[in-house]
Amino acid sequence: MRNWRSNRILFLGVCLAIALVLIVTSQAGFLAPIKSIVIAPLNFVTGLFNRTTQDAVKIADMSSDVPTLQKRVADLEEALARYQSELVELREVASDYQRLSELVNYTSQTQNQEFVAADVISNADANAPLQTISINKGTRDGITIGMPVVSQLGLIGRISDVTANSSRVLLITDVSSAVSGRLQTTRDEGSIVGQSNNDLRMEFIPLNAKVQEGDIVITSGLGGNLPAGLVIGQVTSVQQREFELFQNAVVRSLNNFATLETVLVITNFQPIDLSVFEQSTQTTPGS
Amino acid sequence: MGSFLSLPIMILVAALQVTVMPQLSIWGGRPDLVLLVVVSWALNTTLEQGILWAFVGAICKDLLSSAPLGTSLIGLIFIIFAIHTVRQQLFSVGIFTLIWVSLLGTVIQEVCIFMVLLLSGFQPYFASQLGYGIIIEQFRLFIVPTIVYNLIGIIPVYIVTRIIQRAVGTNLRLTR
Repeated sequence: MRNWRSNRILFLGVCLAIALVLIVTSQAGFLAPIKSIVIAPLNFVTGLFNRTTQDAVKIADMSSDVPTLQKRVADLEEALARYQSELVELREVASDYQRLSELVNYTSQTQNQEFVAADVISNADANAPLQTISINKGTRDGITIGMPVVSQLGLIGRISDVTANSSRVLLITDVSSAVSGRLQTTRDEGSIVGQSNNDLRMEFIPLNAKVQEGDIVITSGLGGNLPAGLVIGQVTSVQQREFELFQNAVVRSLNNFATLETVLVITNFQPIDLSVFEQSTQTTPGS
Repeated sequence: MGSFLSLPIMILVAALQVTVMPQLSIWGGRPDLVLLVVVSWALNTTLEQGILWAFVGAICKDLLSSAPLGTSLIGLIFIIFAIHTVRQQLFSVGIFTLIWVSLLGTVIQEVCIFMVLLLSGFQPYFASQLGYGIIIEQFRLFIVPTIVYNLIGIIPVYIVTRIIQRAVGTNLRLTR
Protein backbone atom coordinates (compact mmCIF):
# COMPACT_ATOMS: atom_id res chain seq x y z
CA MET A 1 0.00 0.00 0.00
CA ARG A 2 2.75 2.41 1.00
CA ASN A 3 4.77 1.53 -2.10
CA TRP A 4 1.77 2.15 -4.37
CA ARG A 5 1.16 5.59 -2.84
CA SER A 6 4.77 6.64 -3.11
CA ASN A 7 4.79 5.58 -6.78
CA ARG A 8 1.70 7.65 -7.46
CA ILE A 9 3.21 10.70 -5.84
CA LEU A 10 6.36 10.10 -7.88
CA PHE A 11 4.20 9.84 -11.03
CA LEU A 12 2.45 13.11 -10.16
CA GLY A 13 5.81 14.76 -9.55
CA VAL A 14 7.19 13.56 -12.90
CA CYS A 15 4.09 14.82 -14.75
CA LEU A 16 4.30 18.23 -13.07
CA ALA A 17 8.03 18.41 -13.77
CA ILE A 18 7.41 17.72 -17.48
CA ALA A 19 4.70 20.41 -17.52
CA LEU A 20 7.03 22.93 -15.89
CA VAL A 21 9.87 22.09 -18.32
CA LEU A 22 7.41 22.60 -21.21
CA ILE A 23 6.31 25.99 -19.87
CA VAL A 24 9.83 27.23 -19.18
CA THR A 25 11.28 26.08 -22.53
CA SER A 26 8.25 27.46 -24.38
CA GLN A 27 8.50 30.80 -22.56
CA ALA A 28 12.21 30.94 -23.38
CA GLY A 29 11.42 30.37 -27.06
CA PHE A 30 13.25 27.06 -27.45
CA LEU A 31 10.09 25.32 -28.69
CA ALA A 32 9.31 27.90 -31.38
CA PRO A 33 10.69 25.81 -34.33
CA ILE A 34 8.82 22.68 -33.19
CA LYS A 35 5.67 24.71 -32.50
CA SER A 36 5.89 26.19 -35.97
CA ILE A 37 5.75 22.70 -37.52
CA VAL A 38 3.23 21.08 -35.17
CA ILE A 39 0.78 23.98 -35.41
CA ALA A 40 0.35 23.52 -39.20
CA PRO A 41 -2.21 20.64 -39.08
CA LEU A 42 -3.99 22.31 -36.18
CA ASN A 43 -4.26 25.56 -38.14
CA PHE A 44 -5.59 23.64 -41.14
CA VAL A 45 -8.36 21.98 -39.10
CA THR A 46 -9.09 25.24 -37.29
CA GLY A 47 -9.35 27.08 -40.61
CA LEU A 48 -11.84 24.51 -41.91
CA PHE A 49 -13.96 24.74 -38.77
CA ASN A 50 -13.77 28.52 -38.76
CA ARG A 51 -15.03 28.81 -42.35
CA THR A 52 -17.84 26.36 -41.61
CA THR A 53 -18.76 28.19 -38.40
CA GLN A 54 -18.75 31.59 -40.09
CA ASP A 55 -20.93 30.19 -42.90
CA ALA A 56 -23.29 28.64 -40.36
CA VAL A 57 -23.51 31.91 -38.46
CA LYS A 58 -24.27 33.77 -41.69
CA ILE A 59 -26.96 31.23 -42.65
CA ALA A 60 -28.50 31.48 -39.17
CA ASP A 61 -28.54 35.25 -39.48
CA MET A 62 -30.14 35.11 -42.92
CA SER A 63 -32.92 32.75 -41.86
CA SER A 64 -34.56 35.18 -39.47
CA ASP A 65 -38.27 35.97 -39.46
CA VAL A 66 -37.95 39.15 -41.49
CA PRO A 67 -35.07 38.58 -43.90
CA THR A 68 -35.72 41.64 -46.04
CA LEU A 69 -35.83 43.94 -43.06
CA GLN A 70 -32.70 42.39 -41.67
CA LYS A 71 -30.90 42.90 -44.95
CA ARG A 72 -32.00 46.50 -45.00
CA VAL A 73 -30.75 47.00 -41.43
CA ALA A 74 -27.45 45.30 -42.29
CA ASP A 75 -27.01 47.55 -45.32
CA LEU A 76 -27.76 50.63 -43.27
CA GLU A 77 -25.40 49.53 -40.49
CA GLU A 78 -22.65 48.94 -43.00
CA ALA A 79 -23.24 52.34 -44.57
CA LEU A 80 -23.36 54.01 -41.16
CA ALA A 81 -20.10 52.33 -40.12
CA ARG A 82 -18.50 53.43 -43.40
CA TYR A 83 -19.69 57.00 -43.03
CA GLN A 84 -18.72 57.06 -39.38
CA SER A 85 -15.24 55.92 -40.28
CA GLU A 86 -15.02 58.58 -43.01
CA LEU A 87 -16.34 61.19 -40.58
CA VAL A 88 -13.68 60.23 -38.06
CA GLU A 89 -10.98 60.54 -40.71
CA LEU A 90 -12.31 63.94 -41.79
CA ARG A 91 -12.49 65.19 -38.21
CA GLU A 92 -8.93 64.03 -37.65
CA VAL A 93 -7.78 65.82 -40.82
CA ALA A 94 -9.59 69.00 -39.78
CA SER A 95 -8.12 68.82 -36.31
CA ASP A 96 -4.62 68.29 -37.74
CA TYR A 97 -5.09 71.25 -40.13
CA GLN A 98 -6.13 73.57 -37.32
CA ARG A 99 -3.18 72.62 -35.15
CA LEU A 100 -0.71 72.81 -37.99
CA SER A 101 -1.90 76.26 -39.08
CA GLU A 102 -1.16 77.50 -35.55
CA LEU A 103 2.22 75.80 -35.39
CA VAL A 104 3.82 77.32 -38.49
CA ASN A 105 7.32 76.25 -37.46
CA TYR A 106 6.44 72.65 -37.66
CA THR A 107 5.93 70.64 -40.77
CA SER A 108 3.63 67.70 -41.03
CA GLN A 109 5.01 64.30 -41.80
CA THR A 110 2.67 62.11 -43.70
CA GLN A 111 3.11 58.56 -42.56
CA ASN A 112 2.80 56.30 -45.59
CA GLN A 113 1.66 53.06 -44.13
CA GLU A 114 2.30 49.72 -45.81
CA PHE A 115 -0.20 46.96 -45.18
CA VAL A 116 -0.29 43.17 -45.46
CA ALA A 117 -3.82 41.79 -45.71
CA ALA A 118 -4.46 38.59 -43.74
CA ASP A 119 -7.39 36.21 -43.27
CA VAL A 120 -8.52 35.42 -39.75
CA ILE A 121 -8.24 31.67 -39.11
CA SER A 122 -9.59 31.66 -35.56
CA ASN A 123 -11.56 34.33 -33.76
CA ALA A 124 -10.60 33.40 -30.22
CA ASP A 125 -7.90 32.15 -27.89
CA ALA A 126 -8.12 28.63 -26.47
CA ASN A 127 -7.49 29.95 -22.96
CA ALA A 128 -10.38 32.07 -21.70
CA PRO A 129 -8.46 34.89 -19.96
CA LEU A 130 -6.63 35.74 -23.19
CA GLN A 131 -8.34 37.48 -26.10
CA THR A 132 -6.41 36.82 -29.28
CA ILE A 133 -7.13 35.93 -32.89
CA SER A 134 -5.02 33.96 -35.39
CA ILE A 135 -4.19 35.18 -38.88
CA ASN A 136 -2.74 33.30 -41.84
CA LYS A 137 0.37 35.46 -42.34
CA GLY A 138 3.68 34.96 -40.55
CA THR A 139 7.39 35.65 -40.74
CA ARG A 140 7.46 34.59 -44.41
CA ASP A 141 5.23 37.57 -45.18
CA GLY A 142 7.36 39.97 -43.16
CA ILE A 143 5.27 39.92 -40.01
CA THR A 144 7.11 40.51 -36.73
CA ILE A 145 6.04 40.80 -33.10
CA GLY A 146 4.65 44.21 -32.12
CA MET A 147 3.23 45.21 -35.51
CA PRO A 148 -0.14 46.99 -35.27
CA VAL A 149 -3.20 45.24 -36.75
CA VAL A 150 -6.15 47.26 -38.01
CA SER A 151 -9.34 46.94 -40.02
CA GLN A 152 -11.25 49.56 -41.95
CA LEU A 153 -13.09 50.32 -38.71
CA GLY A 154 -10.03 50.91 -36.54
CA LEU A 155 -7.41 49.34 -34.32
CA ILE A 156 -7.66 45.61 -33.61
CA GLY A 157 -4.49 44.85 -31.68
CA ARG A 158 -0.83 43.98 -31.98
CA ILE A 159 1.05 40.89 -33.15
CA SER A 160 1.99 38.95 -30.01
CA ASP A 161 3.23 35.67 -31.41
CA VAL A 162 4.45 34.72 -34.88
CA THR A 163 5.31 31.49 -36.69
CA ALA A 164 6.37 30.94 -40.31
CA ASN A 165 2.84 30.91 -41.75
CA SER A 166 0.63 32.27 -39.00
CA SER A 167 0.53 34.90 -36.30
CA ARG A 168 -1.47 35.61 -33.20
CA VAL A 169 -2.91 39.06 -32.56
CA LEU A 170 -3.43 40.27 -28.99
CA LEU A 171 -6.72 42.17 -29.19
CA ILE A 172 -7.10 45.59 -27.60
CA THR A 173 -9.98 44.07 -25.59
CA ASP A 174 -7.60 41.66 -23.80
CA VAL A 175 -7.36 42.46 -20.12
CA SER A 176 -3.58 42.70 -20.38
CA SER A 177 -3.73 45.19 -23.26
CA ALA A 178 -3.05 48.87 -22.54
CA VAL A 179 -2.99 51.48 -25.29
CA SER A 180 -2.36 55.22 -25.02
CA GLY A 181 -5.47 56.95 -26.31
CA ARG A 182 -6.72 60.46 -26.96
CA LEU A 183 -10.20 61.93 -27.22
CA GLN A 184 -10.47 63.29 -30.73
CA THR A 185 -12.47 66.40 -29.85
CA THR A 186 -10.84 67.63 -26.62
CA ARG A 187 -7.38 66.05 -27.20
CA ASP A 188 -7.39 64.77 -23.62
CA GLU A 189 -5.33 61.65 -23.11
CA GLY A 190 -5.83 58.45 -21.20
CA SER A 191 -4.96 54.81 -21.08
CA ILE A 192 -7.25 52.33 -22.86
CA VAL A 193 -7.39 48.96 -21.13
CA GLY A 194 -9.29 45.89 -22.30
CA GLN A 195 -12.25 44.36 -20.52
CA SER A 196 -13.25 40.75 -20.85
CA ASN A 197 -16.70 41.59 -22.28
CA ASN A 198 -15.34 43.12 -25.52
CA ASP A 199 -15.60 46.64 -24.10
CA LEU A 200 -12.70 48.95 -23.41
CA ARG A 201 -12.12 51.33 -20.54
CA MET A 202 -10.35 54.66 -20.85
CA GLU A 203 -8.60 55.42 -17.57
CA PHE A 204 -6.65 58.37 -16.17
CA ILE A 205 -8.67 61.05 -18.00
CA PRO A 206 -8.15 64.38 -16.21
CA LEU A 207 -11.14 65.44 -14.08
CA ASN A 208 -11.47 68.76 -15.91
CA ALA A 209 -11.74 67.03 -19.31
CA LYS A 210 -15.17 67.24 -20.93
CA VAL A 211 -15.94 63.71 -22.03
CA GLN A 212 -19.24 63.05 -23.75
CA GLU A 213 -20.98 59.94 -25.00
CA GLY A 214 -20.21 59.45 -28.67
CA ASP A 215 -16.73 61.00 -28.50
CA ILE A 216 -14.25 59.19 -30.72
CA VAL A 217 -11.08 57.81 -29.14
CA ILE A 218 -7.90 57.50 -31.22
CA THR A 219 -4.37 56.29 -30.51
CA SER A 220 -2.13 59.05 -29.19
CA GLY A 221 1.18 57.50 -30.25
CA LEU A 222 2.58 58.02 -26.74
CA GLY A 223 4.91 55.22 -25.73
CA GLY A 224 5.87 54.62 -29.34
CA ASN A 225 4.13 51.23 -29.57
CA LEU A 226 1.45 52.30 -32.06
CA PRO A 227 1.13 54.99 -34.71
CA ALA A 228 -0.95 58.01 -33.72
CA GLY A 229 -4.40 58.62 -35.17
CA LEU A 230 -5.77 55.08 -35.39
CA VAL A 231 -9.42 54.85 -34.35
CA ILE A 232 -9.89 52.84 -31.15
CA GLY A 233 -13.61 53.28 -30.51
CA GLN A 234 -16.42 55.46 -29.28
CA VAL A 235 -17.25 56.57 -25.72
CA THR A 236 -20.49 54.95 -24.53
CA SER A 237 -20.55 56.12 -20.90
CA VAL A 238 -18.52 58.26 -18.51
CA GLN A 239 -17.75 57.45 -14.88
CA GLN A 240 -16.83 60.48 -12.76
CA ARG A 241 -16.54 60.34 -8.98
CA GLU A 242 -15.73 63.32 -6.79
CA PHE A 243 -13.29 61.47 -4.55
CA GLU A 244 -11.18 60.15 -7.46
CA LEU A 245 -8.27 61.95 -9.09
CA PHE A 246 -9.25 60.89 -12.61
CA GLN A 247 -12.38 60.01 -14.50
CA ASN A 248 -12.99 56.86 -16.55
CA ALA A 249 -14.98 56.20 -19.69
CA VAL A 250 -16.35 53.02 -21.21
CA VAL A 251 -15.32 52.80 -24.87
CA ARG A 252 -16.81 50.50 -27.48
CA SER A 253 -14.73 49.49 -30.49
CA LEU A 254 -16.37 49.85 -33.89
CA ASN A 255 -15.01 46.39 -34.74
CA ASN A 256 -16.93 43.21 -33.99
CA PHE A 257 -14.05 40.97 -32.93
CA ALA A 258 -16.11 37.78 -33.05
CA THR A 259 -16.81 38.07 -36.77
CA LEU A 260 -13.55 39.45 -38.14
CA GLU A 261 -12.63 37.87 -41.45
CA THR A 262 -9.85 39.98 -42.91
CA VAL A 263 -7.44 42.32 -41.17
CA LEU A 264 -4.53 44.54 -42.19
CA VAL A 265 -1.10 44.40 -40.57
CA ILE A 266 0.88 47.66 -40.70
CA THR A 267 4.33 46.40 -41.67
CA ASN A 268 6.36 49.60 -41.91
CA PHE A 269 5.73 50.90 -38.42
CA GLN A 270 8.77 50.62 -36.18
CA PRO A 271 7.91 50.55 -32.46
CA ILE A 272 10.25 52.82 -30.47
CA ASP A 273 12.42 50.97 -27.96
CA LEU A 274 12.20 53.04 -24.77
CA SER A 275 14.28 50.55 -22.79
CA VAL A 276 17.41 52.48 -23.87
CA PHE A 277 16.27 55.46 -21.79
CA GLU A 278 15.50 53.21 -18.84
CA GLN A 279 19.06 51.84 -18.98
CA SER A 280 20.57 55.32 -19.22
CA THR A 281 18.56 56.58 -16.22
CA GLN A 282 19.69 53.57 -14.23
CA THR A 283 23.36 54.24 -15.00
CA THR A 284 23.31 58.08 -14.79
CA PRO A 285 23.24 58.53 -10.97
CA GLY A 286 26.34 56.41 -10.45
CA SER A 287 28.36 57.88 -13.30
CA MET B 1 -6.86 2.02 -28.83
CA GLY B 2 -8.04 4.75 -26.46
CA SER B 3 -4.53 6.19 -26.36
CA PHE B 4 -4.26 6.39 -30.17
CA LEU B 5 -7.65 8.12 -30.37
CA SER B 6 -6.48 10.96 -28.13
CA LEU B 7 -4.60 12.82 -30.89
CA PRO B 8 -7.32 13.07 -33.60
CA ILE B 9 -10.07 13.69 -31.06
CA MET B 10 -8.13 16.36 -29.24
CA ILE B 11 -7.14 18.13 -32.49
CA LEU B 12 -10.86 18.29 -33.39
CA VAL B 13 -11.86 19.38 -29.90
CA ALA B 14 -9.18 22.10 -29.74
CA ALA B 15 -10.26 23.39 -33.17
CA LEU B 16 -13.88 23.47 -31.98
CA GLN B 17 -12.74 25.28 -28.83
CA VAL B 18 -11.41 28.26 -30.82
CA THR B 19 -14.02 28.33 -33.61
CA VAL B 20 -17.47 27.19 -32.49
CA MET B 21 -17.30 27.83 -28.73
CA PRO B 22 -16.67 31.61 -29.04
CA GLN B 23 -19.99 31.88 -30.89
CA LEU B 24 -21.68 30.61 -27.70
CA SER B 25 -19.85 33.11 -25.50
CA ILE B 26 -21.91 35.18 -23.06
CA TRP B 27 -20.46 37.49 -20.36
CA GLY B 28 -16.90 36.61 -21.38
CA GLY B 29 -17.27 32.89 -20.62
CA ARG B 30 -17.46 29.85 -22.86
CA PRO B 31 -17.34 26.07 -22.37
CA ASP B 32 -13.87 24.61 -21.92
CA LEU B 33 -14.41 21.69 -24.28
CA VAL B 34 -10.88 20.30 -23.88
CA LEU B 35 -11.32 20.12 -20.11
CA LEU B 36 -14.74 18.48 -20.43
CA VAL B 37 -13.50 15.80 -22.87
CA VAL B 38 -10.37 15.00 -20.84
CA VAL B 39 -12.37 14.79 -17.61
CA SER B 40 -15.12 12.67 -19.19
CA TRP B 41 -12.55 10.27 -20.64
CA ALA B 42 -10.58 10.06 -17.38
CA LEU B 43 -13.67 9.10 -15.38
CA ASN B 44 -13.74 5.67 -17.06
CA THR B 45 -10.15 4.87 -17.85
CA THR B 46 -6.81 4.21 -16.17
CA LEU B 47 -4.71 6.93 -14.58
CA GLU B 48 -2.01 6.55 -17.22
CA GLN B 49 -4.44 6.95 -20.11
CA GLY B 50 -6.12 9.90 -18.39
CA ILE B 51 -2.74 11.60 -18.06
CA LEU B 52 -1.97 10.90 -21.73
CA TRP B 53 -5.27 12.53 -22.77
CA ALA B 54 -4.48 15.48 -20.51
CA PHE B 55 -1.05 15.91 -22.16
CA VAL B 56 -2.42 15.71 -25.71
CA GLY B 57 -5.41 17.95 -24.93
CA ALA B 58 -3.37 20.58 -23.13
CA ILE B 59 -0.72 20.76 -25.87
CA CYS B 60 -3.34 21.04 -28.65
CA LYS B 61 -5.12 23.76 -26.67
CA ASP B 62 -1.96 25.72 -25.87
CA LEU B 63 -0.79 25.53 -29.49
CA LEU B 64 -3.92 27.49 -30.40
CA SER B 65 -3.23 30.04 -27.70
CA SER B 66 -0.63 32.71 -27.10
CA ALA B 67 -0.01 31.21 -23.67
CA PRO B 68 3.21 29.19 -23.20
CA LEU B 69 3.00 25.50 -24.13
CA GLY B 70 1.98 23.52 -21.02
CA THR B 71 -0.09 26.28 -19.41
CA SER B 72 -3.25 24.16 -19.41
CA LEU B 73 -1.37 21.02 -18.43
CA ILE B 74 -0.74 21.64 -14.74
CA GLY B 75 -4.41 22.07 -13.88
CA LEU B 76 -5.40 19.00 -15.93
CA ILE B 77 -2.78 16.83 -14.19
CA PHE B 78 -4.13 17.78 -10.75
CA ILE B 79 -7.70 17.13 -11.93
CA ILE B 80 -6.87 13.70 -13.37
CA PHE B 81 -5.15 12.62 -10.15
CA ALA B 82 -8.10 13.92 -8.09
CA ILE B 83 -10.58 12.10 -10.34
CA HIS B 84 -8.62 8.87 -10.17
CA THR B 85 -8.42 9.02 -6.38
CA VAL B 86 -12.17 9.55 -6.00
CA ARG B 87 -13.13 7.20 -8.85
CA GLN B 88 -11.59 4.26 -6.96
CA GLN B 89 -14.26 4.76 -4.29
CA LEU B 90 -17.22 4.95 -6.70
CA PHE B 91 -19.08 2.08 -8.30
CA SER B 92 -20.46 4.17 -11.15
CA VAL B 93 -20.52 7.74 -12.39
CA GLY B 94 -23.76 9.60 -11.66
CA ILE B 95 -25.05 13.10 -12.24
CA PHE B 96 -23.63 14.38 -8.94
CA THR B 97 -20.18 13.05 -9.80
CA LEU B 98 -20.32 14.89 -13.12
CA ILE B 99 -21.42 18.10 -11.38
CA TRP B 100 -18.66 18.14 -8.79
CA VAL B 101 -16.03 17.05 -11.31
CA SER B 102 -17.09 19.86 -13.65
CA LEU B 103 -17.28 22.42 -10.85
CA LEU B 104 -14.03 21.56 -9.13
CA GLY B 105 -12.24 20.84 -12.40
CA THR B 106 -13.12 24.24 -13.84
CA VAL B 107 -11.97 26.08 -10.72
CA ILE B 108 -8.67 24.15 -10.52
CA GLN B 109 -8.03 24.53 -14.26
CA GLU B 110 -8.82 28.25 -14.46
CA VAL B 111 -6.87 29.11 -11.29
CA CYS B 112 -3.83 27.09 -12.49
CA ILE B 113 -3.96 28.72 -15.95
CA PHE B 114 -4.24 32.17 -14.38
CA MET B 115 -1.33 31.51 -12.01
CA VAL B 116 0.92 30.25 -14.84
CA LEU B 117 -0.06 33.24 -17.00
CA LEU B 118 0.73 35.66 -14.15
CA LEU B 119 4.12 33.99 -13.59
CA SER B 120 4.90 34.16 -17.31
CA GLY B 121 4.32 37.92 -17.49
CA PHE B 122 0.58 38.26 -18.21
CA GLN B 123 -0.58 41.50 -16.60
CA PRO B 124 -4.34 42.03 -16.58
CA TYR B 125 -5.60 45.53 -15.70
CA PHE B 126 -6.73 44.28 -12.29
CA ALA B 127 -3.25 42.93 -11.41
CA SER B 128 -2.59 46.06 -9.36
CA GLN B 129 -5.40 45.10 -6.98
CA LEU B 130 -3.83 43.32 -4.06
CA GLY B 131 -5.07 40.41 -1.97
CA TYR B 132 -8.57 39.13 -2.55
CA GLY B 133 -9.32 41.77 -5.23
CA ILE B 134 -7.45 39.95 -7.97
CA ILE B 135 -9.04 36.61 -7.04
CA ILE B 136 -12.57 38.04 -6.96
CA GLU B 137 -12.04 39.83 -10.30
CA GLN B 138 -10.73 36.61 -11.90
CA PHE B 139 -13.75 34.69 -10.59
CA ARG B 140 -16.19 37.38 -11.78
CA LEU B 141 -14.71 37.73 -15.26
CA PHE B 142 -13.78 34.18 -16.25
CA ILE B 143 -14.35 31.40 -13.75
CA VAL B 144 -18.04 31.84 -12.88
CA PRO B 145 -19.26 32.11 -16.54
CA THR B 146 -17.06 29.13 -17.50
CA ILE B 147 -18.41 27.06 -14.57
CA VAL B 148 -22.00 27.69 -15.72
CA TYR B 149 -21.16 26.63 -19.27
CA ASN B 150 -19.17 23.57 -18.16
CA LEU B 151 -21.97 22.41 -15.86
CA ILE B 152 -24.32 22.50 -18.83
CA GLY B 153 -21.81 20.94 -21.22
CA ILE B 154 -20.47 18.08 -19.10
CA ILE B 155 -23.52 15.82 -19.54
CA PRO B 156 -23.67 15.71 -23.38
CA VAL B 157 -19.86 15.52 -23.58
CA TYR B 158 -19.81 12.63 -21.07
CA ILE B 159 -22.51 10.74 -23.00
CA VAL B 160 -20.62 11.08 -26.30
CA THR B 161 -17.33 10.12 -24.62
CA ARG B 162 -18.92 6.97 -23.11
CA ILE B 163 -20.26 5.95 -26.52
CA ILE B 164 -16.75 6.25 -28.00
CA GLN B 165 -15.20 4.42 -25.03
CA ARG B 166 -17.67 1.53 -25.34
CA ALA B 167 -17.06 1.37 -29.10
CA VAL B 168 -13.28 1.08 -28.68
CA GLY B 169 -13.48 -1.06 -25.53
CA THR B 170 -11.82 1.30 -23.07
CA ASN B 171 -13.04 0.72 -19.52
CA LEU B 172 -11.80 1.34 -16.04
CA ARG B 173 -10.85 -1.72 -14.01
CA LEU B 174 -11.47 -0.81 -10.39
CA THR B 175 -8.59 -1.93 -8.18
CA ARG B 176 -9.15 -1.38 -4.49
